[in-house]
Amino acid sequence: METVPLTHILFVSTALFCIGMYGLFTRRNLITMLMAIELILNSVNINFVAFNKYLYPYKLDGIFFVIFIITIAAAEAAVAIAIIINQYRTHQSIDVEDATELKF
Amino acid sequence: MFHLLQTNVTQTVSDASSAGSYFPVGIQLLFVVGMIGFLMVVTHLLGPKRHTSDKLQTFSSGIESHGDARQPMAIKYFLVAILFVLFDVEVIFFYPYAVNFRGLGWSGFWAVLMFVAFFLCGFIYIIKKGALDWED
Amino acid sequence: MNALIFSAVSGVIMMFSSFLLNNKNSVRVLAHVLLLATIIANIFELRGISFFHIDTRGMLEFDRFALLFTLVANVCTFAFFLLSSRDLEKIGNHYSDYFSLLFFILAGIVVSSSFKSLLMLFLGIEILSIPLYILTGSDKRNLKSNEASLKYFLMGSFSTGLMLMGIALIYGATGTFQTGITVAEKVPVLLITGMMLLLFSMSFKVSAAPFHFWTPDVYDGAPTVVTSFMATVVKAAGFIAFMRLFAEEFGSIRPEWKLLVGIVAAVTLFIGNITAVFQQSVKRMLAYSSISQAGFMMLAIYSLSNDAKEGLILYAAAYSLATIGIFAVLVRMKDYTFEGFNGFAKQQPFLAGILVVFLLSLAGIPLTAGFLSKFYMLKATIDGGSLALAIFAVLMAAVSVYYYFRLIQSMYFKTGNATISGTTTGFKYTLAALAGITILLGIFPNLLTNWLYF
Repeated sequence: METVPLTHILFVSTALFCIGMYGLFTRRNLITMLMAIELILNSVNINFVAFNKYLYPYKLDGIFFVIFIITIAAAEAAVAIAIIINQYRTHQSIDVEDATELKF
Repeated sequence: MFHLLQTNVTQTVSDASSAGSYFPVGIQLLFVVGMIGFLMVVTHLLGPKRHTSDKLQTFSSGIESHGDARQPMAIKYFLVAILFVLFDVEVIFFYPYAVNFRGLGWSGFWAVLMFVAFFLCGFIYIIKKGALDWED
Repeated sequence: MNALIFSAVSGVIMMFSSFLLNNKNSVRVLAHVLLLATIIANIFELRGISFFHIDTRGMLEFDRFALLFTLVANVCTFAFFLLSSRDLEKIGNHYSDYFSLLFFILAGIVVSSSFKSLLMLFLGIEILSIPLYILTGSDKRNLKSNEASLKYFLMGSFSTGLMLMGIALIYGATGTFQTGITVAEKVPVLLITGMMLLLFSMSFKVSAAPFHFWTPDVYDGAPTVVTSFMATVVKAAGFIAFMRLFAEEFGSIRPEWKLLVGIVAAVTLFIGNITAVFQQSVKRMLAYSSISQAGFMMLAIYSLSNDAKEGLILYAAAYSLATIGIFAVLVRMKDYTFEGFNGFAKQQPFLAGILVVFLLSLAGIPLTAGFLSKFYMLKATIDGGSLALAIFAVLMAAVSVYYYFRLIQSMYFKTGNATISGTTTGFKYTLAALAGITILLGIFPNLLTNWLYF
C-alpha cells in the first residue's frame, strides 16, 4: 500500500484549524461557533495521531492524548449547549450580536 | 515472492510524493466530476417537465406532511441528548483497557473499577436530580 | 497527592450532600469541614507524610513549590468560604452544587500546579476552567451572567484550542509530553511555534494583555461572589502553571521567549493600570486591577529565579487575600460604584479601616504583604537583567495608587450614605484576621517562603 506523506496530513489538519479559526471569528450563530471550536479540536487530534504514527510509532502517547481531548471536548460541548439554551431562553435568539448586555 | 513485495513497497514509498503517482487519482477525479456533470445536464435536457402540486409536495413515505419541521422542542430532549453524549464519550477510556487488559493485570482492573465507580456516582447524581424523569 | 484526592472526593461528597442534607446550614458546615480536612492533609504532605502512594508515572510531581501553592490556594479558598459562603446562597437554588464545583476547581488547581507532563497541564487547566464556565453563568435569570459565561466559554475554549495546537507541535518536535526538554544547537521551528501558541493561550487564561479583553466583561457579568474566587485563586493558579511550564519545559530555550514575555508584562501593566483609572464601578476597577497585578506576576515569569518563585507565592497570597477581602465587602454593598462608598467610614469605621489595609496592600505600600511581594518581583527583574522593565513597573504601581486611593477618598472624605447589609460580628472578625495576615506577611515574609526550603 502506498503511504501518504506526513506533510499532506499536516496540511489537512492546518487547513481544518484555519477553517475553525475563521468560522469562530466570522460566524455569529452560537451553534456554528461551537462547531468551529470542535473543528479546531479535531484538527489537533489529526495532528497528534499523524505525529504519533509517522514520527514516534513505538509509543502510543499521541493517541492517548487524543482520547483525553475527545472526552474534554464532549464535556465542553455539554456546558456550551447548556449556556446556549440559557441564552436562548433569555434573549429568544442564539445570535451573539443580540448579546449586548455587557457592551459599553 | 516476499522479497518482491518488499522491494515494491519501498519503491512506491520513496516516490510517493512525486506528482506522477497522483496521475490515476486525477484521472478518476476528472472522470467522476465529468460523469456527474454529464448526467445532470443530459437529464435536465431530455427529461419532461410537468409541475403539479402533488409532485412539488414533500414526499415522506406516502404520509401527508403538515407543519414546519423547525419547531421548538421540549427541553428534555436536549438534556437527554447532552447526558447521552457525556456518558457515551467517557466509554472511550474502556477501549485502551479492553485492548490489553491481560497485560494490565489486577492493578488495571482496580483502576478501571474506580473509574466506573466515579462514573456511577455521576449517573446516580443525575437520577437523583431528576434529570431523567420524563413525566413532570 | 493528598490535596488532589481530598478535594476531588470532597467534590463528589458535596454533589450528593444536597440529597442527604436538606438544611443549607449543614451543607455549608460540611463544605467548611471538608476544605479544612484538605488543608490539613496538604500540610501533612508538605511535612513529608503522604497518605497515598500512587505511581503517577512521572506525570505529576508534588514538589515544595506546588505543595506550598496548593496550601496558599486552599487557605485563600477557606477564607473565601468563611467570608462569602452565605452569599453563594443568593445566586440560585443549587447551593451544594456550587460548593462541589469549587472543590473540582481546587482539584484542577492542584493538577495544574504540579504537572510534569503537558497532558496534565491540559487536563488541569480544563478541570479548572469548565466548572468556572458554569459558575460564571450560575445566576440564570441575570442577562449579564449569561453573557459573561458565554463570552468566557468562547474565549476559554478558543485558547484551549491554541494550547492543544501548541502541545501537538511540541510533541511533533520532541516526541514526548514530559517537561524538561533538551534541545541541540539549533532550536526546531516546530518547537518555537508550539511555544508561542502555549504562551498565547496561557496569556489568555491569566488575562495578560493583549489577550485580556474578555476579563473586565466576564468579571463584571459574573455573580460577584464568583468573581471574587475567579480573580484571585484561579488567576494565581494560572500563573503557577505558567511559571512551571516556562521554567521546566522552555527553560532551555529562554533567549527565544524572554523578550516576548517582557513585552507582554509591560503591555499588561500599562493597559491594566491606565484603564483602571477611568472606571466608575468598583467591581470593574477591581477587574482591571487584576489585570495590572497580572502584569506584576508576569515579571516572575520573565526572571525565573528563586526570588521570583518565592515572590510569586507571596504575591499569590497577598493579592488573593486582599482581593477576597475587598470583594467580600463589595458583595454586601448596595451600590457598586465609587459613589456607593461615599461616607462608608462614618457608618462602618471598623470595616473601612480593614478595607484601607487591603487597598494599601494592593497598591504596594510598605508594611503590607503587597509591598514585599512587589519588591521581590522587582528585585528578581533587576537581577534578571532588565532595569528598564523594573522602572516601568514602579511607575505603573504609582499610577495604581491613584485608583486605590480614590476608593479610600470616597470612604473617608466624602459624605453620603453607603448602605451595607448583613455584616455579622463573625464576618468582621474574619476580615480583621485577613488584614492581620496581610500585615504579618508584610513584616515577616519568611513565615510563608521558608516553607519552600526545610
